[in-house]
Amino acid sequence: MDDPVKRLLQRLIRRIPSQMLKITLDKWGRLTATQQRSMDFTQPKRVLTEKLLSIYEENEWTVKHVTELEMIYIMDNPNQGMWNAYQLMDPEDDSQSVNLMQFKEQFKSHLGEIVRHVSVKMKKHTDEAVWIRIAWGDGFSRSNHLKPTYVVHQLQTPYVFVTSLTSKQKPLLSQALILATRHQNIKDANLSGLKLTAIRELLMRQYQQVFPTKYHSPLTEKTQTVLNTQTEREQAESAANRCQMACEAFGDGMLPQLQSAVYKLETKFRDPANKTMTEREEPFRCVVKFASTNLLESLRQCASSGIASTPVTPLLSSIPLKGKNYFVVTDNGPGSSQK
Amino acid sequence: MVSSVARTPLNSVVVQRRSKNKSYRQSYRSCLGAASRLCFTPGLTARRLNASRRAPKSRDITEKVSPEQLALLMKTEWQLSYITPLYQFRHTQLRSYSRQLSAFIAAEKQQGLAMEVEGPQSSFRVSFSVVQGMVETDDDAETVFIQIHSKSLFDRQDEPQRSVWRGWLSCINGNPDYLRSLPKDFICLPLFGSSGAEGLTCVVKSWFQQTFDCCFGPLEISNTSLQWLLALWTHCHMESSIQHLKMNWTVPVVPPLQVTYTVNPQDAWELWSSVRKDHQEENEGGEEVKDESIVDIDEVMRFTQALKSHFYRHFRLDLSAGSLNQVSTALGSAKCSGRIKISNSKYMITTLTLLTECALLKMPI
Repeated sequence: MDDPVKRLLQRLIRRIPSQMLKITLDKWGRLTATQQRSMDFTQPKRVLTEKLLSIYEENEWTVKHVTELEMIYIMDNPNQGMWNAYQLMDPEDDSQSVNLMQFKEQFKSHLGEIVRHVSVKMKKHTDEAVWIRIAWGDGFSRSNHLKPTYVVHQLQTPYVFVTSLTSKQKPLLSQALILATRHQNIKDANLSGLKLTAIRELLMRQYQQVFPTKYHSPLTEKTQTVLNTQTEREQAESAANRCQMACEAFGDGMLPQLQSAVYKLETKFRDPANKTMTEREEPFRCVVKFASTNLLESLRQCASSGIASTPVTPLLSSIPLKGKNYFVVTDNGPGSSQK
Repeated sequence: MVSSVARTPLNSVVVQRRSKNKSYRQSYRSCLGAASRLCFTPGLTARRLNASRRAPKSRDITEKVSPEQLALLMKTEWQLSYITPLYQFRHTQLRSYSRQLSAFIAAEKQQGLAMEVEGPQSSFRVSFSVVQGMVETDDDAETVFIQIHSKSLFDRQDEPQRSVWRGWLSCINGNPDYLRSLPKDFICLPLFGSSGAEGLTCVVKSWFQQTFDCCFGPLEISNTSLQWLLALWTHCHMESSIQHLKMNWTVPVVPPLQVTYTVNPQDAWELWSSVRKDHQEENEGGEEVKDESIVDIDEVMRFTQALKSHFYRHFRLDLSAGSLNQVSTALGSAKCSGRIKISNSKYMITTLTLLTECALLKMPI
C-alpha cells in the first residue's frame, strides 16, 4: 500500500495482541458507536485488521491519531523491548520547581531546535509519570514513525527510562532532557531490562525490603517444624540464617523481574595454590553475565540454598542496593563506567 | 568377552583367547585397563576417558585433506551420536549406498513418513563421499560424508539442488587394541554427526541400522570432555588466537540461573601455562622426564578449578553446584547435549580424537 500512515496502522494492529485490542480501542475512543458495534472481536486478527483499515479511510484518521493509539497501547503494556535507565545529575537551583507545563514546553522546544522534523508527543500517566514519544527525522526526511523512542520520567525524581534509542539520537535526547529538567548532566544508570515496571520498582525500592534485626525474625518461624536432634536444630538454624541473609540482600516476597546482570572483572588473579598467577601484575580480565527469567529470585535462592555463601557478596547485593545491573569491577572496588 | 575395568588385572588385557575359527571381540572398556593404570586418574569419570592426551599442535591439515572437503565439516553445528561397528560396510561401495539410500528415502516418503522438508513433489538425491586423508593411523577407517539434496519438480532443470541434510561418520585415533580386536567384517566409525531435518536423520539412521546391523545412540559431551576442550583449545592460543574462552553454566535454582563466564584469551592462556608449569615442577622429582606435548587430566582439572575459584572469590558462588553446558572459543564450540561446531581446521583432529574416544566409550558393546 502507498499510504505510510495506513501501513503504520496495519503494523500497529498486528503488534497488539487480540485480547488487548478491544480495551485499547475503547480507551482510544475514536470509533463511533456504530463502528464499535460492527467490530466482532471473536474473528481472526486478519479480519479485524481489514475492518479497521476501512474505518481508517472512513474516518480519515491521520498520523496523529494512529500514533496516539500506539502510545495508549505502549503505556498500558510497557514491558516489551529493552529499557535503559538514566540518571539526571547536578540539579540547578530551580530544578525542583519545574512543573509539568514548563517541562513539556521546554522539552519540545529544545528538541525541536536541535533536531529538524522531529515529532514529539507527551502524555501524563495516571501515576504522574510523563511519557514522551519521539519520532526522529533528519535534515532530509520527515519523522520516522516506524521506530519511535519512548521516554518515561517522573518529575522531581532523578531517573529517566528510555527504549529504542540509537547512539546517534542519545546526545540529542540527553541535551533536551537536561535543559528541560534544569540539570547539568545526565548519565547512564547502568540498569537495563525488558520490564519497565521491574526496573522502576528496583530503583524506587518498591519491593519488600528486609532489614537486619537483632532479634528472632519472623522468617525463622516459617522453617520451624518439630525438631528432635541437635543436628537437625543446627541445620535448621543455618538454613534460617541463610534465608534471612538472602532476603536482606535481595528482598522478600515478589521481586522486580530483572533478566540479566553483567560484571566486567578487571581484578588480579589471587589464588594461594597458584604462585605464578598471584605474582602477576596485570589483571585477569573476564566478563561474567548472570541471566534468568527472574534474576533476583534466582540469586536469592542461590543464597538461601547455600550455593552462594552468605553473607551475600556486595557484588551481587549491589544489584538491588544500587539499582544497577552493569558493573565494572577493579581492584579498587566496584564502580560503573559511564557509557 | 566383557569384563569390567575394576576386575581386569593388568596382564589379562594383553592375553586374548582367540580360537582359529572365531575371534572374540573385546569390550572397549577392557582395553582401557592398561591405559588408565599408567597415569594418575582421580575419580571414576576420569578413569573412563584417557587420562592424558597429546597436546594439539597446529598441523596444516590442508596438506592431507583438500580444503573443499574440510569445508564440508566446518562451521556447521553437528548433533552427535555414536554408532556401533558396521557389518560389511565397504568404502568401495559408496555409489551403491547412495542409490540405496535415495531409494529408501523415497520408499519411506511413499509410506507417508513425514519428511518436514519441501513440498510433496520433491525428490531426494543422496551422495556418499570419502573425506580422504583425515585418518591418523592405519587402524582408523576413512571418514565418510553424506549429503542429501532435494529437488522440487517445479524447479527448472538448471537450478542447483538444495542441500537439505548432511552427515558424516568418522574414527580418528580410535583405540588400536579395540579396533584390532574387531572381527574382520566389521568397520568401526563410531562418531556420527548430523545436521538437517530430524525426519531425515531418523531415516538415514534406520537405513544404516537395516543395512549394516548397527545401533545408534545419543552422544552427550560429558563434563570431563568439555573441560578437556577448554584446556586443549586454550593451549592453542599462541598459534591461533582463540579470541575468547567462553563457558556457559547452569545453576539449579528456580528459576534456573545461567552464568556466562568469558575470559580474555591471553589471560586464559597465561593461567593455563601457569597450571602446566606448576604441574611440571611438581613432577620434576619423578623418574621420567615429562614429555611437554602430553597433557594430563590433572592439569585440565586444575585449570578449571582455578577458573572457578577466581569466580568464587568475587561472587562467593560455587560453580561446582551448577553444570557446565557449553564451552566455546574461536576454534569451535561444544555443548553437553552433544552438539559440536569446529571453526578452525587446524585443530580438528584433536577435537575429533576426543570425540571418537567419547563415542567408543558410550557404545554399549
